[in-house]
Amino acid sequence: MNLDIDAGNKRTKKQKIVIDAPAKRRKRGASLDVKKARAGWLFVLPFVLGFVLIYVPIIFDSIRFSFNEMRLVIGGGYQLNFVGFKNYSDALFVDASFVTTLLAGIRQLVLDIPSIVIFSLFVAIILNQKIAGRAAFRAIFFIPVILTTGLIASIDSSNILSSYMDSSTGIDNGTGQASTAAEIVSALDIRDLFSGMAVGTEIVEYVVGLVNNIFNIVNRCGVQMLIFLSGLQSISPAIYESCSIDGASGWETFWKITLPMVSPMILVNTIYTIIDSFTSSNNSVMSYISNVTERSGGDVLASAMYWMYFLIVILIIAIVAGILSAVVFYQRKD
Amino acid sequence: MNNAEVKIRKETKNKIKVDFERTPLWERIKSKVLNMYTLKKVVWYLFRFLLLLGISYIILFPFFSKISSSFMSKEDLVDVTVRLIPKHPTLSTYQAIIRDNNYFVALGNTFLLSFVCAVIQTFICTFIAYGFAKFKFKGNKILFLCVIFTMVVPHATLSLSIATKFKFFDFFGIIQAISGNSINMLNTNWPLYILSLTGLAYKNGLFIFMLRQFFRGIPDELEESAYLDGSGIFKTFFRIILPLSGTMLITVFMFAFCWQWTDNFYTDMFYSISGPTLLPDIVKVPKSLDTNYAGSALYTAAIKNACGMLIITPLIILYLFGQRYIIQGIERSGLTAD
Repeated sequence: MNLDIDAGNKRTKKQKIVIDAPAKRRKRGASLDVKKARAGWLFVLPFVLGFVLIYVPIIFDSIRFSFNEMRLVIGGGYQLNFVGFKNYSDALFVDASFVTTLLAGIRQLVLDIPSIVIFSLFVAIILNQKIAGRAAFRAIFFIPVILTTGLIASIDSSNILSSYMDSSTGIDNGTGQASTAAEIVSALDIRDLFSGMAVGTEIVEYVVGLVNNIFNIVNRCGVQMLIFLSGLQSISPAIYESCSIDGASGWETFWKITLPMVSPMILVNTIYTIIDSFTSSNNSVMSYISNVTERSGGDVLASAMYWMYFLIVILIIAIVAGILSAVVFYQRKD
Repeated sequence: MNNAEVKIRKETKNKIKVDFERTPLWERIKSKVLNMYTLKKVVWYLFRFLLLLGISYIILFPFFSKISSSFMSKEDLVDVTVRLIPKHPTLSTYQAIIRDNNYFVALGNTFLLSFVCAVIQTFICTFIAYGFAKFKFKGNKILFLCVIFTMVVPHATLSLSIATKFKFFDFFGIIQAISGNSINMLNTNWPLYILSLTGLAYKNGLFIFMLRQFFRGIPDELEESAYLDGSGIFKTFFRIILPLSGTMLITVFMFAFCWQWTDNFYTDMFYSISGPTLLPDIVKVPKSLDTNYAGSALYTAAIKNACGMLIITPLIILYLFGQRYIIQGIERSGLTAD
């Protein structure tokens, strides 16, 4: 089958495109696919190499260490003695405060996660609307992601000056006494408000905890906020337009349009938040375990602790992802 | 009003001036502005604005306190009337840190480390992500699951084995067989370079994920037409795809650079005191400053804040230039959950 196609365009030269016979074409197509598959492998090769040569041995070693005792040999190298589940049972039964730290830490993180996700969605929705200085606000909200990490976070966590300055009454009255009276909303106010509603002490404690923890939460939701923002911007304005023509209020639009449309982002963000907060070095469990590392012979014990912690995290991620993916709404794009 | 009564005052080609009875201005403003709809809008606008302002304050306050305390002298810190604005501002804290703690040496070393790592990570992650996004090959999905796996397992879990891996660096005993000894890479930049080269460094899984989503948003027709025009796969990648993804590349570069810059986990793990001076090493009280007095806790905190300021000043400058790329980059990546 030969086709001569004239470009029919006076600006270009007369072109002749020859399309080969079908049998030959199929062969060519296959070879292009093979070529592309090879190129694909080439592109991901760095990761494959790293994964096989470095990451898998590291994971394997880490699991192996957790079942062993480790001694450094003076000439170089190290010696391992197999001790079975001793490290694990030590962590669970001998170490006095590991289990309580673990349980308290996990409880705290599980309580934090919904608040981070909801807060970041809320801020993203506000930042998505037209408001004066929107670009500046976005830039400010993103500062913690870039700056308050690692080293700076560790400086901040031990910064007594910040709380000292923050505790002052608005205009200094000269007494220098730390006073909580000038806080915008004090924890006591919230307690009063909620106890009037009679909703149960747990919820009151939770809300009070949130308010006291607001700095922490704001600092931890930068990336989530931007993921939500990108999700919100991918919703077609036509949907909102037709909604408002049909007479839906803003409230209804949020529940019927925005929420289902960003629900995939909620899944992504929840999982990201879980990973991020469970692995951040300043949560209580992680810092406890890294303290254990500094004890003599504590490094293998810490390995065992990390693995137990990690398994619990995986379990939580699996449960949350299972629950959420049942309610996530995917728009079919045809 | 009857049409016949309309009196035309002036008529030009595209304008017409007519006398008619207008509703008074006040009435018009009243009906336009003084209704529930506008009121609701104004209240909501103010509420949003104040809320954002408040949260911005929460974010920025630690920086204000850092800046102001870093300029405070000893007298200010024991003076209870001084809160945010120092009465005797001084540069001596900064001078002492720069002089005693080898600030510029640390800055240079960290800059080299962060810059090289960030460049490597940006390109390697782009490569890997492009491979995952645009090519169908056997094992694509499984390998991507491996990427997710590296993202999920915190490196702290593996800290012991990562440290031993690079202390006794070897590939299945090959190097030991050749040279008789494994390589000790601690106190050099190589562990971080190697982790970057293989897409395993800090949060590289996230970078690969973001870039993959971005590349999947680029229509395949673009590359197909390039292939038809006789451009090879790599030429297409370098000449067509990379220039398109400038914003994303800047975003990933900035993340990688800033996170490596403020990192203290890897630097603790891979470098000891005998190694090169890096930025985490300058966070200590300089020798020439005397902290042996009653208010020393606050003074130490102020010194640490000054160290923190010295560390993040380069990043703030970088962020001022790069923040709009970051925000655009993340918005354009069109992250979706599929």
